Amino acid sequence: MGPDDIPLFGMLKSRLGYLSERQKVIAQNVANASTPGYQPRDLKPYSFQASLMNQSAGGQPYRGGKVVPAGGVSMMATSASHMVASHAPSAWRATAGADSVTTLDGNAVSLEDQMLKMSDARMNYDAAVGFYQKSMTMLRMAARKVNG
Amino acid sequence: MPEIKSNSLSTMAVATSALRAQQGRMRVIAENIANANSTARTPGGDPYRRQVPVFKPTRVEGAEGVQMLRVDEDQSAFKTEYDPGNPAADAKGYVKLPNVNSLVEALDMKEAQRAYEANLNVIETARAMQSRTLDVLRK
Repeated sequence: MGPDDIPLFGMLKSRLGYLSERQKVIAQNVANASTPGYQPRDLKPYSFQASLMNQSAGGQPYRGGKVVPAGGVSMMATSASHMVASHAPSAWRATAGADSVTTLDGNAVSLEDQMLKMSDARMNYDAAVGFYQKSMTMLRMAARKVNG
Repeated sequence: MPEIKSNSLSTMAVATSALRAQQGRMRVIAENIANANSTARTPGGDPYRRQVPVFKPTRVEGAEGVQMLRVDEDQSAFKTEYDPGNPAADAKGYVKLPNVNSLVEALDMKEAQRAYEANLNVIETARAMQSRTLDVLRK
C-alpha cells in the first residue's frame, strides 16, 4: 500500500496531474500563437466528479445491465491474445474556446490570457504540492516513535 | 519510440518547437529587411520578393507543437521608381523596387519577440513546477 491509496493523497495526485496536463495544453496554445486559424484549448475545470471517476477506476463494471464508466470505459479481454489498455483514459477533456481576441488570420490565441492561465495553474500546482508535503509530514509525525 | 509519460517534458518540447519556429521567422524577417533595397540584376527584371513564413501545428513528444512549414512569397505588387541611370531600369527608365515595407517588418519582429518571450516563460514555469515536485523528495 502506497500513499496513493489514502484518498487525500490520491486526490492530490489527481489534482497535480490535472494541473500539469493543463500546463501542457497552455504550452500548446502559446506555441501556436502565430499559427493561422488556431483555436486555443483549455481543460475543463477540475471537478469532484472527475476526481471520483479517476478514484474508482476499475470498479463496478455493470449496473442494471449497463456499463458504468468508472475511470473511463475499458475494453473487455475475452481472449488471451487481446491486449489490455495499460491505463484508463483521462477524465479531463480539452475543449476549444476562443480567447478575448481573434486576429484577421483566424488565430484566437491571446498571449495575455494564456500567461494568466499559466500563472494560475502554477500557483495552484504549488499549493497542491505544498499540501501534499504537509500531509506527508503529518503522516511521518504520526508514525514516529514517541520518546519517553 | 517509447511513450513519453512526463507532461513537463512534452511541455518543454512544445515550447522548444515554438522557439525554433519563431527563430526561423526572425531569420525570414531579417532577410526581408536586409533586401529592402535589392533591385534586379537584369534591366526590367523583378527585384527581391518579400518572404512570408507559414506556421503549422505539428506533433512533438505526444503534444501539439509548431513548425515553420515553408516560406511563401508575398504576391503583392512592386513599387516602381523613375531612375533611368539604374542598371535595373526597364526601357522606359522605371526601376521595380521590392515589396518590403520596413514598418510591417518591424511590427512582425516585435510580435516574434513577444511570442519568443512567452515561450521562454512557459519553459521557466514548467521547470519551476518540476523542481517544486522534486522538493517533495527532498524533505
